[in-house]
Amino acid sequence: MVFNSYTFIAFFVIVLILHNLPFSWKVKKINLLLASYIFYAAWNPPFILLLWLSTVVDYFVGKALYTQTNKHKKRGLLVISLIGNLGMLCFFKYGSFLLENFVHLVQLLGIHYQPAKPNIILPAGISFYTFTTLCYTIDMYKKESRPVRSLLDFSLFVTFFPHLVAGPIVRPPQLVPQFETPRTASRRQLMEGLFLLSVGLFMKVVLADGMLAGTADAVFNSADVLPGLDAWAGSLAFAGQIFFDFAGYSTCAIGVALCLGFVLPQNFRFPYAATSLSDFWRRWHITLSSWLRDYLYIPLGGNRQGRWRTYLNLMITMLLGGLWHGANWTFVAWGGLHGLYLWIEKFFRDRKEKASPMPVTAAAMVLPAYGRKTGVFVSGTTGELMEEPVAHPGKEVVLPTGIFNTRLKGLPAALFVFFLVNITWVFFRAGTFAQAGHLLTAMAGFSHGAHPLLKTLSMVKVGVVVLLLLITQWLLRNTKLTDVAYHLPWWLTGLIWSFMVILVILSQESSGSFIYFQF
Amino acid sequence: MLMGLLVLAVIGSWELYLRSTGIPLDYDDGKELWSDKRAKVYDDPVKTTVFIGSSRIKFDLDIATWEKMTGREAVQLSIVGSTPMPILRDLGNDTNFRGKLVVDVTEPLFFNNDSAEVQKPDVYVAYYKHRTPAQKASFAINHLLESRLLFLDQDAFSLNAELDKKVKLYNRPGVFVFPDFPDDFGRTTFERQSYMTKKFVADTSLQHQVQNIWLFLIHSGGHDAAPKEDPVPIVLRSVQNAVNKIRARGGEVVFTRTPSSGPFRAGEEHVFPRQAMWDPLLASTHSMGYYFADNPATAHFDCPEWSHLAPADAILYTKALINELPPSFVTSK
Repeated sequence: MVFNSYTFIAFFVIVLILHNLPFSWKVKKINLLLASYIFYAAWNPPFILLLWLSTVVDYFVGKALYTQTNKHKKRGLLVISLIGNLGMLCFFKYGSFLLENFVHLVQLLGIHYQPAKPNIILPAGISFYTFTTLCYTIDMYKKESRPVRSLLDFSLFVTFFPHLVAGPIVRPPQLVPQFETPRTASRRQLMEGLFLLSVGLFMKVVLADGMLAGTADAVFNSADVLPGLDAWAGSLAFAGQIFFDFAGYSTCAIGVALCLGFVLPQNFRFPYAATSLSDFWRRWHITLSSWLRDYLYIPLGGNRQGRWRTYLNLMITMLLGGLWHGANWTFVAWGGLHGLYLWIEKFFRDRKEKASPMPVTAAAMVLPAYGRKTGVFVSGTTGELMEEPVAHPGKEVVLPTGIFNTRLKGLPAALFVFFLVNITWVFFRAGTFAQAGHLLTAMAGFSHGAHPLLKTLSMVKVGVVVLLLLITQWLLRNTKLTDVAYHLPWWLTGLIWSFMVILVILSQESSGSFIYFQF
Repeated sequence: MLMGLLVLAVIGSWELYLRSTGIPLDYDDGKELWSDKRAKVYDDPVKTTVFIGSSRIKFDLDIATWEKMTGREAVQLSIVGSTPMPILRDLGNDTNFRGKLVVDVTEPLFFNNDSAEVQKPDVYVAYYKHRTPAQKASFAINHLLESRLLFLDQDAFSLNAELDKKVKLYNRPGVFVFPDFPDDFGRTTFERQSYMTKKFVADTSLQHQVQNIWLFLIHSGGHDAAPKEDPVPIVLRSVQNAVNKIRARGGEVVFTRTPSSGPFRAGEEHVFPRQAMWDPLLASTHSMGYYFADNPATAHFDCPEWSHLAPADAILYTKALINELPPSFVTSK
């Protein structure tokens, strides 16, 4: 079920009541597990078998990996887990894509081969829960954390409904310890949770579906030659839509978990305020970025094997990150373009560092106290892909005294990064390279014989929403939503909260799905 | 607390205001409601008749009259502004469907193979086939709320609908802007019957507004490029194929042509002459058909906006239709 549905509201009220009744902690966890299975089965009941299979296999393989001392057997167990998890992902997500490309390849070789079109349905959330279970077994292999004590806790870790379908992608140390001791939400957590749920629904229902989706769909589905204005409006609409849709889902997920007393990791930190591409990846889909860093980029060698190898590792990570999003070459191109941006950025940064005795990366610092409290770090440009900022004692950056960052330094860079990211979204949203080419050509101003498509009202909606998005992201870039809510006078927070809930009710918009469900 | 009170106050006031305007309750006529009805085609064929078509049969079939006179349930699967062909094909391919099917023909839409005309029914059929348990549950909860709250009407009172109605901005030349239908033109019941409000029936300016929309559509349709291939034989083959499949399983199919009037009717007769469309349709499918103009009881109907019957005439039309259809479609024994 989706967060923006009546079914979810009814479901969540029941779960919340059950979780606050005086049951034992074990009973409460069983309730949460059953609720999570119901949440998942409400899409397509048979696919729950896959979830069970993945859970049981990885629980026992993980345990064996941790205790096994024989190196060969250990590797064998890891291979079983990798084949199980990635094999399932490959079959369901990439099966048709691989077959299609194989057919193209053999046809290029002059062999006529036309197999029946496979009818494979993608199980909801498979990319997300596969990554969740995969990181567990890899951690067990490397002995980076301890095995989960019980199958119940492990099942709940994999299946916990707020993060199950579209993240945030959680690591065992982030969630498993929370299942070990009884917890219900404090009054403050419940209020914060409900506030975040409202914000998430507002982002999804009002802004993504209500204000932007129609324009993005109209432009990307149009077969006509479009004027530059329409093409830009369409791509900006999608840039806003994908943010509000996905960040909206993550915000709902974090809010829902908080209402139950659990803390999930942040997944977005105002990404359109990023002042560099590496900064963008520290702010966009953070849990995937850090997953790819820890389980792909660093194992590939990271930046430890020379400059050229770093460039190569960077590109491999971004290309595979693109492919993770969808079984289409346009997603690979999207990842490749980001990889290229990161290359260029790294090239200039390396040159600047060489020329300057004081490294530019001195900015990559964290204020430990502030960071621990808010989970927000001052963005750095370490040159390292998606690494946590490193503390440099004695070189702490002074944060603005107010909650809002009203300084304009870095704003041109942020706008330029947004422009570059916006270009990449064209490949992400377009179904084919031809479609992406049409739109980029129009955006570049080459659109002879173009027919205007969008109504003025649609363009005004896109303009206003995207402008407000950029302003808000810039002002809040060093803080968190809940901190802002507490910082404002209570009546103003109440008014803003009411405004969002009223618009959610009045907009009556829902696509019935989230964009990231398809990934 | 403040949030709860404010939300209640604003939404409550909006609901009370809408009720004070006298506009009747409306159900969103989307894929969710359509799917709820689509699931009923498997009900006892002795007690159920299925209707597919475009908007006319939705306005012209008065379901209360039908059910009272026949004792049979009317399953309304017609979709406004589109051809019923995707639904007919779906029912033809559905080996579990063995029921009684009435296919209403609005020639400009029925004999049209354009992707735009089939897009909506295709989406509805696909949604029905892939409906999840969560979507079914949401529909049931939504039904409870929608039956009680007037403001839950996406087409008329959602945020975007209000913006569209109230914010009128100049559009660039060449932008296609579909004119707005007045809210009073088509309200929808839970059974998917459409009807005009009393205000619409009484207000000729509202009727002229809709007439102008038909003129606009006729005019803009005239600029469309001619199809590469004549769609009529393609449609006829497709109909024949689906009808044969349904009949082979014991189902029955008849065709109807509901009333139109004024310039709309004249235009239809000119572009889609009966001899070239309706007659070949019945001949190729060996079907019984009921053409409104053949019956004096229905030939005289004057549609307020040229294309759909007013509620009072819909009752008369339904009575006449019951008299014309084969007994197996209208008796429950």
